[in-house]
Amino acid sequence: MKIVVCMKETPSTEVKKELGTDMRLVRNPQDAIINPFDEYTIEEGLRLQEKHGGEVVILTMSPAQTTDNIRKAMAMGADRAVVVADPSLAGSDALATGRVLAAALQKIGFDIVLFGQGTADSNGGVVPSITAEYLQLPLLSLATKLTIDGETAVIERSAEVGYVKVEAKLPLVVSVSKSINQPRYPSMKGIMSAKKKPLETLTLADLGLAANQAGSAAAHDKVLAAESVSTQRKREIFVGNDGAAQRIFDFLSDNKII
Amino acid sequence: MDFTLSDEQLAIQQVSRDFAENVIKPRAFAMDASGEFPLDIIQQMGALGLLGLPIPEQYGGAGADFLAYCVALEEIARGDASVAITMEAHTSLGATPFLLFGTDEQKKTYLEPLASGQKLWAFGLTEPQAGSDSGGTQTHAELADGEWVINGSKMFITNAGTSMTAGVTVTAVTGVKSNGRKEITNLIVPTGAEGYVIGPPLKKMGWKASDTRPLSFDNCKVPQENVLGSVGGGFKQFMQTLDAGRVAIAALCVGLAQACLDESLKYSHERSQFGKPLHDFQLIQAKLADMATEIELSRLMYYKAAWLHMQGRDFTKEASMAKLFASETSKRAADQAVQIHGGYGFMDDYPVSRYFRNVKVNEIGEGTSEVQRILIAKQLLQSLR
Ligand SMILES: Cc1cc2nc3c(=O)[nH]c(=O)nc-3n(C[C@H](O)[C@H](O)[C@H](O)COP(=O)(O)OP(=O)(O)OC[C@H]3O[C@@H](n4cnc5c(N)ncnc54)[C@H](O)[C@@H]3O)c2cc1C
Ligand SMILES: Cc1cc2nc3c(=O)[nH]c(=O)nc-3n(C[C@H](O)[C@H](O)[C@H](O)COP(=O)(O)OP(=O)(O)OC[C@H]3O[C@@H](n4cnc5c(N)ncnc54)[C@H](O)[C@@H]3O)c2cc1C
Repeated sequence: MKIVVCMKETPSTEVKKELGTDMRLVRNPQDAIINPFDEYTIEEGLRLQEKHGGEVVILTMSPAQTTDNIRKAMAMGADRAVVVADPSLAGSDALATGRVLAAALQKIGFDIVLFGQGTADSNGGVVPSITAEYLQLPLLSLATKLTIDGETAVIERSAEVGYVKVEAKLPLVVSVSKSINQPRYPSMKGIMSAKKKPLETLTLADLGLAANQAGSAAAHDKVLAAESVSTQRKREIFVGNDGAAQRIFDFLSDNKII
Repeated sequence: MDFTLSDEQLAIQQVSRDFAENVIKPRAFAMDASGEFPLDIIQQMGALGLLGLPIPEQYGGAGADFLAYCVALEEIARGDASVAITMEAHTSLGATPFLLFGTDEQKKTYLEPLASGQKLWAFGLTEPQAGSDSGGTQTHAELADGEWVINGSKMFITNAGTSMTAGVTVTAVTGVKSNGRKEITNLIVPTGAEGYVIGPPLKKMGWKASDTRPLSFDNCKVPQENVLGSVGGGFKQFMQTLDAGRVAIAALCVGLAQACLDESLKYSHERSQFGKPLHDFQLIQAKLADMATEIELSRLMYYKAAWLHMQGRDFTKEASMAKLFASETSKRAADQAVQIHGGYGFMDDYPVSRYFRNVKVNEIGEGTSEVQRILIAKQLLQSLR
């Protein structure tokens, strides 16, 4: 089975996010990590391979200033990686991202494509559906469980009460939720062999796309403003036991907590 | 001079740090309280390849270099001392001698399951009557009918009795050399060999969840081919084994000292007296600065010793220096960490009280501080001759 895992690089959740004057995230290659949601995507790909054989290919559209995160995905066990890197990709919106990923997926070929549920930076959550639409393939979204039996994939998705079960035929696109698995640590052998695994870089031209089909040139969306949320803790210390329950009750109800 | 770690070394460091932080550290308090060997953690480390880092892939290891192993060990020690010493004794003392001195057959039979992390191995040099004075080894073995018959006892042997231990390499007197000295040979004794008795776990001040046992050999029989390397090669073999082991112990000490600094920084930020956080007092700042400086120095010392070793150059003196200084650094760091925590630091609930108990043995195991000073002086004095 040919499994392609779509992985995005995002700024580390530990660094403060900043927007440039162009309203794009300022991305420092040193601070880039694997989009935390995509660790689950990679893990699910590796589990499918363990069960059904075949290969796991990592696909990422990225400025590709460093390959650390792609190597990390390969250290976890992926067989090879394809990076779409092109100066004209900068400023891509979700639609363009989906268009580029779909073109790359068609070039790579696949039985199943896996996506994460969202990202630690812009978190649009729509790239999987847009990509599936471009590919004209079914999308099983937000899987909490994924099983493949012959030509059929079945997922479970959490619902308000219980869960729903959906199936579709291969080839298809699946997006996985965080609760689907527990991602593994890269193994030591994996780390040592990651550099020996093939990494292919593609440009827009390699995908038969024109420069104005991606990047800011093709963007329909425009980020107007973004503001960071600041949280402040309210702290009050009650001294003494007199009427403790009443005082706590009053505090909680004054603050509309109960 | 380039101090940058390679991509692989950095990745190994990162995974070890994450594993220590997420898997080991949350269990450290309970492990210390119960003294129970953390079999599940050690098995997970085995599966990740953390128990065979510097062993080539062809023998089941990860094929990383010696510095990568030390850097990983530092991170694991930052999580917990017992887990770190289990990893160190297994890798440096258990597995590595098979790589250096074993036959192809022995590498296949013994090294592969060790390097791939399925089994643990112990190294038995110390005896009740022969500690620093390893030349005073009394355990002896004689060849009879194609078998070695071993008699004697060993003391303080790490990893000898866990449920995933496959055996122990035992140093024994096998005769007298032409110069009148004892002929020392390392013998491979699998767990379960006839006459090999593993004593109950010893109760310790620290490193509580590591497995430390007395062993006895009562007409213990192993096949003649269970000699590691050559008959009479034992003394040289364990000297060589201990040299590299000391560099690894230095890395372990740096991890323990770093954990002391981590906790001290955190606490001095949280705790206020006289209306200020502790770290605003210059006397506390001096402690933090000294700790950090000594840790940096110790780390550079083990990096350099590891580098010399990887270059195939002589590193005996640097190994002793790194072990000596890093072990004493860890003791001072733990002492000051408790001091910064005041009365709370004396309470079991705070990790620094455990760190204080864990660092003492660093000055004792794999050659005491006195022995390291003797070895360093010996190297210095050699140049006078
Ligand atoms: C503050 C801010 C706001 C933005 N708002 C918008 C907006 O409103 N509309 C818009 O169209 N664009 C917006 N963008 C641009 C956005 O970064 C791109 O649309 C982006 O490529 C889509 O990513 P996402 O993080 O939303 O993906 P999601 O749809 O959240 O990602 C889901 C999954 O898709 C896959 N995936 C996503 N990106 C890649 C990639 N580059 N390579 C490989 N796999 C990938 C991963 O598997 C991921 O788990 C915004 C950017 C910023 C900085
Ligand atoms: C937790 C733990 C785990 C261990 N694991 C192992 C293991 O896996 N395998 C193994 O073989 N051993 C192991 N050991 C043993 C360890 O290596 C010895 O304890 C150490 O070498 C010291 O020997 P000793 O305890 O007999 O002390 P002794 O040699 O009796 O020393 C007592 C004191 O005298 C000092 N001294 C001795 N000789 C001199 C001298 N010439 N000049 C000045 N001072 C001197 C020493 O430095 C020390 O301060 C372990 C020990 C411990 C505590």
